[in-house]
Amino acid sequence: MGKRVFKRRVVITGYGMITPSGRNVADTFKSCSMGKSGIDDITAFDATGLPCRIAGQVNDEWIRDDGFSNHKRLLKFSSRGLRLMSIAAREAASRAELPKVSDRQRIGVSIGSFGEDPPLEEIVWLHRFYDGEGHWDLESLTREGGYNFLRFYRRKPDMISAIIARLFDCRGSNLSSTSACAAGAQAVGEAFRMIQDGHCDVMMAGGCESTLNLAGFLGFVLLGALATRYETPQTASRPFDRKRNGFVLSEGAAVLILEDFDHARNRGAPIEGEILGYGSSSDAYRITDSDPRGEGAILGMRKALADAGLTPEKIQYINAHGTSTLKNDISETRAIKAVFGPNAKKMAISSNKSMLGHCIAAAGPIELILTLMGMHCSLVLPTINQTHPDPKCDLWFVPNQAVHKAHSVAICNSFGFGGQNGCLCIGNTF
Amino acid sequence: MESIVITGMGTVTSLGATAGDTYRALLKGCSGVRLISGFDTEGFDCRIGAQMPPIDPSNMGIHPRDARIMGMQGLMLMKAARDAFSAGGLDKRPVDGDLIGLFMGMGIVDYEFKDLLPAVQYSLNSGGAINDDDFFSRGYREIYPLWPLSMLNNMALCQVAIHLGIKGENAVFAPHGDAGAWAVAEGVSAILEGKANVVLAGGVSEKISPLSLARGLSADILNTDPSLNRNVCPPFKAEAKGTILGEGCGVMVLESRSSAEKRGAPFLAEVSGFGSAFEREEETMRPTARAVQRAMDEAMVDAGIDPAGVDLVIAHGDGTAGDKNEIDAIAGFFADAGRPIDLYVSKGALGNLFAASPVVDAILTICMMENGMVPAALYVDPVEHHTPFNLICGKALRKRPKCVMINSRSHEGHCVSLVITACR
Repeated sequence: MGKRVFKRRVVITGYGMITPSGRNVADTFKSCSMGKSGIDDITAFDATGLPCRIAGQVNDEWIRDDGFSNHKRLLKFSSRGLRLMSIAAREAASRAELPKVSDRQRIGVSIGSFGEDPPLEEIVWLHRFYDGEGHWDLESLTREGGYNFLRFYRRKPDMISAIIARLFDCRGSNLSSTSACAAGAQAVGEAFRMIQDGHCDVMMAGGCESTLNLAGFLGFVLLGALATRYETPQTASRPFDRKRNGFVLSEGAAVLILEDFDHARNRGAPIEGEILGYGSSSDAYRITDSDPRGEGAILGMRKALADAGLTPEKIQYINAHGTSTLKNDISETRAIKAVFGPNAKKMAISSNKSMLGHCIAAAGPIELILTLMGMHCSLVLPTINQTHPDPKCDLWFVPNQAVHKAHSVAICNSFGFGGQNGCLCIGNTF
Repeated sequence: MESIVITGMGTVTSLGATAGDTYRALLKGCSGVRLISGFDTEGFDCRIGAQMPPIDPSNMGIHPRDARIMGMQGLMLMKAARDAFSAGGLDKRPVDGDLIGLFMGMGIVDYEFKDLLPAVQYSLNSGGAINDDDFFSRGYREIYPLWPLSMLNNMALCQVAIHLGIKGENAVFAPHGDAGAWAVAEGVSAILEGKANVVLAGGVSEKISPLSLARGLSADILNTDPSLNRNVCPPFKAEAKGTILGEGCGVMVLESRSSAEKRGAPFLAEVSGFGSAFEREEETMRPTARAVQRAMDEAMVDAGIDPAGVDLVIAHGDGTAGDKNEIDAIAGFFADAGRPIDLYVSKGALGNLFAASPVVDAILTICMMENGMVPAALYVDPVEHHTPFNLICGKALRKRPKCVMINSRSHEGHCVSLVITACR
C-alpha cells in the first residue's frame, strides 16, 4: 500500500475567509493589522442573564449573497456554518482559478466542522412531545411537523464537506474532520497528506464554525471556558495577559486551496505559499484540561518541524493557539520554550484570537491564512489587549501593534478540547 | 515499500463482545437485529435494530465521572480499543506513547434529549412557553456542566488516548462508512511516513436512539416494511427496502512488518490497498456507480494487484437503493476477471454500522482467513440478479480468502474501498 517513492510538494494557490472582522481575507487582514477587535455584544440571541454576553459575530449583511441562490435544493440544508463556508470557499476557489482545473476527480475536499446544534426553540418544541422518561408522543409530533428532519440533518458532520464538493464540483477524496478546536488545522493537515501521497492534486481544505446559539454557546458557558470579566467586549480576549479570564466564542470560516506544486506550476496558478509540514499529537492527560506541562503541544510542534525537515531555528514566527485561558497561556508558553530553547525569547509570537476570538473549527485555517498574508507584506500581526503582561508568559507576543518584519517560515498551533493537537509549518519560500 | 500488518483487533457488535464471538455467531447464521429496547419506539415507522447489550463502565474500571460523558459510543470504543491494545501485545511489550497513533471514524454523536430537559422544564411558564429570563439567568445551569464535552465528536477518541497513554499522530473523521476506512488509510500513511510506529485505527457506529431513528427515517434510508417484525436490511434486493441501524465498533492495531517482528507480535493480515472517490447522483445524492468503481480501482492499483487477484468482496450492501450502483460497479470491476467473484455482506446480520462497518468487515476478514470459512450473508436472494458474482447465502462457504476487497460508502456520495490480504 502507498507505493510512493517521494513526497510531493504542496503549495497554496488560493484562500478565502469570512470572520467577525471582515467579509473576506483582505478586510480581515486589514482590520487585524490595525489591531482592531472583531468582538462585540451578542445580537444573535438575547444573552441577558448569562455570565458572558459577547462574541465575534459575522455581519448578517455579509452573508446575504451566500452562493446558494442557484441551488434551491441545497439551500434547504444550509446551516449558518455552511453559508459561511460557502462564501469562504467561493473566494478561495476564484482566487485559485479552480473552475479552470479540468480533472475534477483529482480535486478533493477536507473540512473541519461540526453539525449544527439545535436552537433553543427546537428543544422547547420537542419537549412538548416528551414525557421525561423515555417516551415520545410521535403521533402528535408527526402531526405538528414531522421529525423536523432538516434540523437533524444539520447535525451531520459530513454535510458541509459533501455540499462544498457539490457546489464546487470536487469529485476526489472527501473528508470531514471533527477534532474540536483542532478540527480545522487537522483538516488542512490531512489534505496536505492527501496531496503529498498523490491521492489528489488539489484539495479545498478548511473549517467553519457557527455556534452562537443555545447548545453551542451555553455549552462553553457551562464548561466555564468563556471570558466573564471584561470592561468592554473588545478587551475581553487577552491572551498572555494577566487579566485574561477565558476565551471569546466567535464564528467564521476559512478555506485554503492546496495543490501539488507541479500541478500548480503547469496550469500557471498563483503560488501564494507552501505547507511545509504537519504534526498532530494528543495530550492523553485529562478530558477537561490540557496538559499543564504542555507535552502534547511540544510533541505536536516537534512533529510538524520534523515533517518539514526544519530545525527550530528556522522558524521566524509562531502563530500561537493563544486562547486567552490561563491554562492554555501558561502551557503554550512552556511548550514554546521547550521546543525553541533560548531562541524562544527572540521569536515573534502572536495570537489572532486576541482580535477575532476563538472560531473553534475555523480557527486553524483562519490563522494559517493570516500568517501567510503577514509573510506577503512582511507584517507580524499583534496580540492586542496586552496591558498587564503575565510574568509567567515572558515571551515576545508582539503586544498591541503590528510589527514590520520580513519572515518566510512560520508554525501555526491549534490545540483542541480533549487534548487533540494539530501544528502546521507554513512558508512563503517561492 | 514496507508492508503494513494488522497485529491486534478488538470489536464489539450486537452478536458478541469479541471478534471471535461475532464471527462464530455469523457462521451459525445468527442475526443481531431485533426489536429495539431501551427506549419506547411506539410511533416510529422502523422499530428494529442491531443493538449492543448494555456495557457497564465499572467493569472496565472507568471512573463514574468519565463514564457520565461517555455514552454507548465512547464505551464501545473504549472496550474495542483496549481489547485491540492488549491483543496486539501493547500492554506487555510497551511502545512509547509518543509513537502510537490513533485514528478513528466516528458515527454521528446525537443529543440525549433528557440531558437538556431539566433546563427547559425549569424555564417553562404557565402557558407552556419558555421564559427566556428564567432560562438564561438560571435554567441552563440545570444542565450537567460537562455535558457539552459529551457532544464533541472527538471525546471518545480523547478518552481512549488518555486511558491508554496514546500521544502520537491522530485524527477523527465522521460519520459514515468512509470515515472508518479513512482512519485505517491515514493510520497506514502515518506508519509509512515514520510518524508513528504503531497505530490504533477503527470506527464507531451511531448509537441507536430516537434521534438516529428519526434521522434515518426522514432521510428515507430505513426499512419500514410493516410485514417485518424482526430482521432485515436485505442487501442487494431488486426492490430495495432500506437499511437497519446497527451498533458496534472495530479497532485494529497496525504497524510495519519489521516493527511487528521486532515486538514478536502476531501478523493477522496485511492492509494493502485503499481507494476513495466522491460523486453523487443529483437527485438521490447517493454515490454513482462510477464513484464506487473508481474507489475499487484506486484500491486495487494501490495494492498492486488486478481484479483477478481478488478472491472475495465484502460489499457495502446496506439494503438501500444505492446497492444498485454498487452492483453495477462490482460487475464493471470484475467484468474481465473471467470468473464470478464470491461476495459477502455483513449488514443483514449486524445492521448498518456506519463508520464502524469497514473496520468490522476487515476484522471479519481476518477471522475468515484464520478459519477458512466465509459466513452466509443473511436475507439475500441469489436469483434476483444475473450478476457476475456469487453472493454467498444459504450456508457458509468453505473458503480461505487471500485477498479481500471491502467496500463502504455514505449516503452523500463518498465511496471507499480497502484491500486486506493474507500475510505471506
